[in-house]
Amino acid sequence: MPHIQINKHEFDELVGAKVTDETLNEEASFLGVHWNHINKEKWDIEVYPNRPDLLCVEGLARAYRGYFDQEKGLEKFDVEEGSIKLEKSESVEKVRPHIACAVVRGLKLNERMINGLIQLQEKLHVSYGRQRDKLAIGLHDMSEISAPFTYKAVEPEKVSFTPLEYDKDINLEEILNNHEKGQEYAWILDDEDRYPVIVDSNDNVLSFPPIINNQLTEVENDTEDIFIDVTGKDEQTVKKALNIIVSALSERDGEIEEVEVDGEEMPDMTPEEFELDVDYVNQVSGLDLSPKEVRERLEEMRYGVKMKDGFKVQVPAYRTDVMHQYDLIEDIVIAHGYNNIGPELPEVDQDGGLTEITRFTDELRDVMLRAGVLEANTYVLTKEEDLFDKMEIERSNYQIHLENPMTEEYSTVRSWLTPSLFQVLQENKHNSYPQEFFEVEDIAQKAGTYTGAENKKKMAYITAGEIDYNDARRKLQAIERDLDIDLQLEKASKKFHKNSRSAEIFFKDEKIGFIGEYSEQVAENWDIDQKIAGFELDVEKLKEEI
Amino acid sequence: MKLSQQAKKVFERLKSAKHLRFQELEEEGLDQSMVARSAKELEEKDLAEIETEEEVAYELTKKGRSVIREGSPEYRLVEILEDGPKEFSEINIPADVAVGKARERGWIEIDDGEVRLSDEGGLIEEDELVQQLKNENFGADHVERGLVERITETTRTLKLMRKGEQVKVDNIEEEFNVEADAEPPGIGKKHFYRHVMDEAKDVWLEMGFQEMEGDYVVSGLTCFDALYIAQDHPARDLQDTFFVEDPKASDLNEFGDMVDKIRQTHEDGWKTGSKGWQYDWSEKEAARNVLRTHTTETSVQKLIELEEDDLPGKYFIISRAFRNETVDRTHLADFDQAEGIVVGKDLNFAHLKGYLTEFFERMGYDRFRLVPTYYPYTEMSVEIQVYDEDEGEWLGMGGSGLFRPEVVEPLLGFEATVLAWGLGIARIGMGAGELEDIRGLYSNDKEKIYETPLWNPER
Repeated sequence: MPHIQINKHEFDELVGAKVTDETLNEEASFLGVHWNHINKEKWDIEVYPNRPDLLCVEGLARAYRGYFDQEKGLEKFDVEEGSIKLEKSESVEKVRPHIACAVVRGLKLNERMINGLIQLQEKLHVSYGRQRDKLAIGLHDMSEISAPFTYKAVEPEKVSFTPLEYDKDINLEEILNNHEKGQEYAWILDDEDRYPVIVDSNDNVLSFPPIINNQLTEVENDTEDIFIDVTGKDEQTVKKALNIIVSALSERDGEIEEVEVDGEEMPDMTPEEFELDVDYVNQVSGLDLSPKEVRERLEEMRYGVKMKDGFKVQVPAYRTDVMHQYDLIEDIVIAHGYNNIGPELPEVDQDGGLTEITRFTDELRDVMLRAGVLEANTYVLTKEEDLFDKMEIERSNYQIHLENPMTEEYSTVRSWLTPSLFQVLQENKHNSYPQEFFEVEDIAQKAGTYTGAENKKKMAYITAGEIDYNDARRKLQAIERDLDIDLQLEKASKKFHKNSRSAEIFFKDEKIGFIGEYSEQVAENWDIDQKIAGFELDVEKLKEEI
Repeated sequence: MKLSQQAKKVFERLKSAKHLRFQELEEEGLDQSMVARSAKELEEKDLAEIETEEEVAYELTKKGRSVIREGSPEYRLVEILEDGPKEFSEINIPADVAVGKARERGWIEIDDGEVRLSDEGGLIEEDELVQQLKNENFGADHVERGLVERITETTRTLKLMRKGEQVKVDNIEEEFNVEADAEPPGIGKKHFYRHVMDEAKDVWLEMGFQEMEGDYVVSGLTCFDALYIAQDHPARDLQDTFFVEDPKASDLNEFGDMVDKIRQTHEDGWKTGSKGWQYDWSEKEAARNVLRTHTTETSVQKLIELEEDDLPGKYFIISRAFRNETVDRTHLADFDQAEGIVVGKDLNFAHLKGYLTEFFERMGYDRFRLVPTYYPYTEMSVEIQVYDEDEGEWLGMGGSGLFRPEVVEPLLGFEATVLAWGLGIARIGMGAGELEDIRGLYSNDKEKIYETPLWNPER
């Protein structure tokens, strides 16, 4: 989740009221962003990905003016007509097809405001812009450049300029290779033979999106007029990001001016209209609000409402998250207060119940617990070395493989349970012997299902110390006694068992597991200097046959 | 003076010996728990005192011995890199430990999948770790890496005190001691986290919920797409999700025309009344198998299965989910979640709050609040917070909300409301086990399991 830092003094100024620390601590988070006090005037704010418009102090202030009842309803944005044009060349279609632009004039900037803008730009890049792939933003001081502008794709070696944080002219290829930002974002232009640039009427490069701007247009304290470009791969995302930036600058008394991009006037700050069914609001929320009350809640959240011919909600142009009237209902309930509703319990008449396999699992657990065994709780993820090599068996074709495990230790899903209990013995080497553990849990392996894999319930028991085969056999016998079943044991020669101390377990002619004393080699592989015995059962097969 | 028969016997031995190790008494044939009880009794009467000495010894593990034989992974990595930088795949030793440790020490630099020696790494001439292990110069980091085991030996000695010297054995009356402590028997016992999960399960049952079940390996379709999580959502990144290499993909024919409904919902909202995410949805991406990242996937499977006649219904599951995380004190790759849904025609947000309040009250949390948050698949997305009286702070317990129409309609095929939650019960388990480190929930120290009291929501 993105976090931003803001100065509370600045926030108060923009809200137009002094907001106490207590209010921020106790109430502000109920708008849906989380406030944390760092020190003095500094606050950290966690913003959820559905509200990129709140990634700046200006956007927050606008939202909280509504939430704290300073100013309600739709914010009006005056967009002046302008004369600046940008031409989009067809050459960008393949590499980065969309661009949206606007001009904001008459700004009085300072260091803090500029840092806030950079923060907004960077945070939009990371989350909403998927690391600049989906969108990238450029802000330009207009004093050194002249319209009209052109957005085009060019051969990397043929265009040079001095990028920000650099001291000389280099070409686009060199930027990707040598400039810090170039190296960081070069992946976005992988496999492209032409790179996008925005140039002015004198062929000065403004920007090489999504990598870096020209030093020439760097925004500084004395910058008054800003040209904004947003480029990217998704038209809606690009336009919404432009609206977010423009509406933030408008909070700073900037005058928004249109740019004509290929015949289309931008930015489009017209609110989108949604029909809202007030009965549906009450049905979903459990509230009983009149249309007038619904209107008030919406206005607190900075929506506009028209109540002629039905109930229409105007959604501000900077909101990216409203795609269904459900989204409006959420904001209505937020304004009402999550904690001012319910709780109520409906009449849903139903008996509780466990699945059959869980009921049977619980019986087995009971038998083992009463027989004096400790129940273990182990990880499902493990490594193949533990599942196979340490157990002296061949790697299995039924084993599930993961594509991208972060660490070797948790690199596969267990396909049997006994190795997990060996891990438990290893963890208990400092404790006294004898030791006994069991677990009944799921394993997973490849199977003929639609996913190609399935879970299976297994039970494993292990004991270590001055023990032998019979100690494991007695616990198995307890299961036979308590479940009133008769298991057949047939001599076997499992690779992990000692010779002549190995058996397979059958129930009604169906093989359901094994029992035995583990070999010295297995004990050594696990670095356990004790005799070890145990069994493992297929719980599902056992249950089926009972 | 009165003593129990056994204590009198121990006292008699102590009178002549002055000092007696517990072990000596046990070797003379006295029962271990009896020795402990008698010693306590003598101490209570000021006749003797118990001295406890702990001696810590370190012993090389098998892993430690193999490091001495073959060299430490980080040093071997340095040796390999002396010939020049290498790709990850070219490093033919277990790379994660080697790279992790060498990076920690600043010996290597990693750039775009390529590993090379740092300036400092170039100066390494000796395998310091091997020297430390050979010289038995053991430290905490060796224990942490599993190279060395810490063995604690406790010696308890009973020592005669002045009063003990004065009291004559003949003057002691034998009396059965009903008040003394005893060693509990080594009985069967649940792991404390299992116990908490069983309690939670019982609460759901008492509230009329039926259990659901599901697999670990699932398709992206049911884990993400059906929950209206867009295909470029960061949750679907390699960093967060375990993708399955083999079996690689699901056969989505299993879901019939539902696949197309989900596609349309993502692309333009289908007939859910939504605008949709407006992008080209890929069936191939949806078919990719993953380890379920949340038990909400199981709720999706339940919704697919439900018929209109089954409504209303309440369902729960407590089971594993997986995240591709580096495991540390606060993160697990493999953890349990408590998931629940209520499906019906006339349900609303107040009811969601009703169920959650009821559950947490029964689990011992009286103060409870809902804070707005965001999930792609719920509206009125809420984070559940409970008030921890001991810590004096609000704790996040998981997420909840009403499933969006974009989720419900393609899965059910008819209109209904679904209340849903996925709770992290790890915090309750950590409280039960008095843990600071989340990994303790899946640790199985025998003494820890024995010594942990049974969790009870009233405590």
